[in-house]
Amino acid sequence: MADDARQFLPLSPAALHILLSLAGEDMHGYAIMQEIARQSGGQYKMGPGTLYDNLQRLMDREWVEDLGQRLGDEDPRRRYYHLTLSGRGVLEAETARLAGVVREARSRLQSTRSSVPKPRRA
Amino acid sequence: MLRHLYRCALRLHPRGFRRRFGDEMLSIFDRQQGRLAAFRLLLDGLVSLTRQWTMRQEFWGELPPNQALQPTPIGVPSFSTIDSFRPRSAAVVPGALLSIALFCATCFAIRYSWIHVLHVHIPEVQFERSQWVPPRSDVGASSREDSLSPINKGQSAPTISTSSHSPVLKQPAAPAVATVQTRGASVAKKSSIEPKAPSQTIPATSTPLAKSVVGADERSAAADASLDAAEREQVIQGAIQNLRRYYIDPAMSQTMAESLRSHAENGDDDEATDGETFAKVLTMQLRAVSHDRHLSVIYNQSAIPEGVTGPTAEAIARYRQDMEQTNCTLEKVETLPHNVGYLKLNSFPDLQLCQPKIAAAMASLNEADAIIFDLRDNHGGSPGMVAFVASYLFDHPTHLDDFYNRSENSTLQSWTLSPIEGSKLADKPVLVLTSAETFSGGEEFAYDLKMLKRARLVGETTAGGAHMVRHRRINEHFSIGVPDTRPINPVSRTNWEGTGVTPDVSVRAAEALTTAESLAEKLLQK
Repeated sequence: MADDARQFLPLSPAALHILLSLAGEDMHGYAIMQEIARQSGGQYKMGPGTLYDNLQRLMDREWVEDLGQRLGDEDPRRRYYHLTLSGRGVLEAETARLAGVVREARSRLQSTRSSVPKPRRA
Repeated sequence: MLRHLYRCALRLHPRGFRRRFGDEMLSIFDRQQGRLAAFRLLLDGLVSLTRQWTMRQEFWGELPPNQALQPTPIGVPSFSTIDSFRPRSAAVVPGALLSIALFCATCFAIRYSWIHVLHVHIPEVQFERSQWVPPRSDVGASSREDSLSPINKGQSAPTISTSSHSPVLKQPAAPAVATVQTRGASVAKKSSIEPKAPSQTIPATSTPLAKSVVGADERSAAADASLDAAEREQVIQGAIQNLRRYYIDPAMSQTMAESLRSHAENGDDDEATDGETFAKVLTMQLRAVSHDRHLSVIYNQSAIPEGVTGPTAEAIARYRQDMEQTNCTLEKVETLPHNVGYLKLNSFPDLQLCQPKIAAAMASLNEADAIIFDLRDNHGGSPGMVAFVASYLFDHPTHLDDFYNRSENSTLQSWTLSPIEGSKLADKPVLVLTSAETFSGGEEFAYDLKMLKRARLVGETTAGGAHMVRHRRINEHFSIGVPDTRPINPVSRTNWEGTGVTPDVSVRAAEALTTAESLAEKLLQK
């Protein structure tokens, strides 16, 4: 599973944010958009066109599944989406990859900082 | 406004995407507040539209997963395909219609294209009766039961404006061609009609089909295969069967059968070792007994397909060509001194094919004070055309004939389509010129007008052929024209078969026109 997931990495930012949004709970499209905005501190705003284009592909890969509408929802047009196990596996693999990237980045940044020569007094 | 545009953009998305997400995207749009946000969403929708059509071909036709993944119910046949794509069931009907339309267009293009890339012969579409329709040498209204309308039965009057009411116009185009008696101008020249000695004469066969057969035989008579006794017996047997079953006079069919048998036993047929000669011999034998000149046995050099009947496409095409070349056998239309209209018609051609020309000829004589129909060289044709021409001469629908078919035990009525709009001939004197060669449909016209006292006949007693004939297959090379229908005139309750139509003024055919002209002059002076 992990090997299978790695072939799709790295994920696009849009796919990553969608999977990440759904990792907590099942959501409808509008809630996913809001969650992404929250996660990125308002820096990444996804339009519905991009959202559903990505959802389409994620569902095609069976990382996300369509749960359909919910009874009693304030807007009956909304459909809810669920992160599947394979989707969760991909998210974990991507998170691990990103963690490695972050770790590597920090390590490089740290070593760069320590190797900078200190100014000497004459 | 923006919402409307957004909806339009959504509708333009590929079907699969639109069905999956269209409602949700609109739902999100509805939650936005402010024109700026709505405008951004609209731009987003347009970008999405472009993306879906240019980069997401794999999702164009996809169904929602919950539909696409539905298993095929057990017991329901389905096609297995490598591709996961399955057409929508709703697409089957338009697809089928489109396929049929393309097929028809292709056939049409092959049939009528000037560029003959494919040497494929596709016959013209002919809406004709499904049963075997042999050519008939003299046919009235169609002999089908379904042609019998209440109007045909005389319950109300037919009018020219409602063709469905007309027994004449009810004839389908192709059968009408098929049924035309074609001992008309072009064929008649090949035939020598000698009514006084019918048994010594084999007139040219009387259908387009037969004509083509004769033509073929003439070209390759030398190549005729020899006939053995067994095949002669088979032909005689087939002829007898057809006569007994269909011939209009059952007693006469028995007499003819005995005659054929007698000739065969006497060895009279033994010298006829080729098909054409044998057909002539049988025809002579039949006519010697019956004196019915519509009877004929025909030899066909090429094989007659079983079940395929009626005239061939070539024969029909030739007939059309003949009609064009002979101006529908309309030899002359002119106005004689004293404003007497003169029309020389050498057959009563197929109504559907020639109605415009005949109507134009009649219209050109509309101002005449009297009219002469010259039928001295008229050898028959379509009773539909007989009724059509006669329609100009009456101011109300007029019953011309009943056509009784023995084998079907049915009777059809033939009525004129009078009044013809604009015609001024309904009350004008009419003269009909006849000769001993006037035959079949030509005789019908003369006889009917005489019985109705609508015309005076000038000339000779006509040939005396009233029956209508159908050609029926005997075997691969032989067919027989069996008269199966007789006209019954409502006035005389009989017809002119064997007796001919006697003129009111008996003069030699060559003098008939002069006599008629002076007669017309006298009639006009009264």
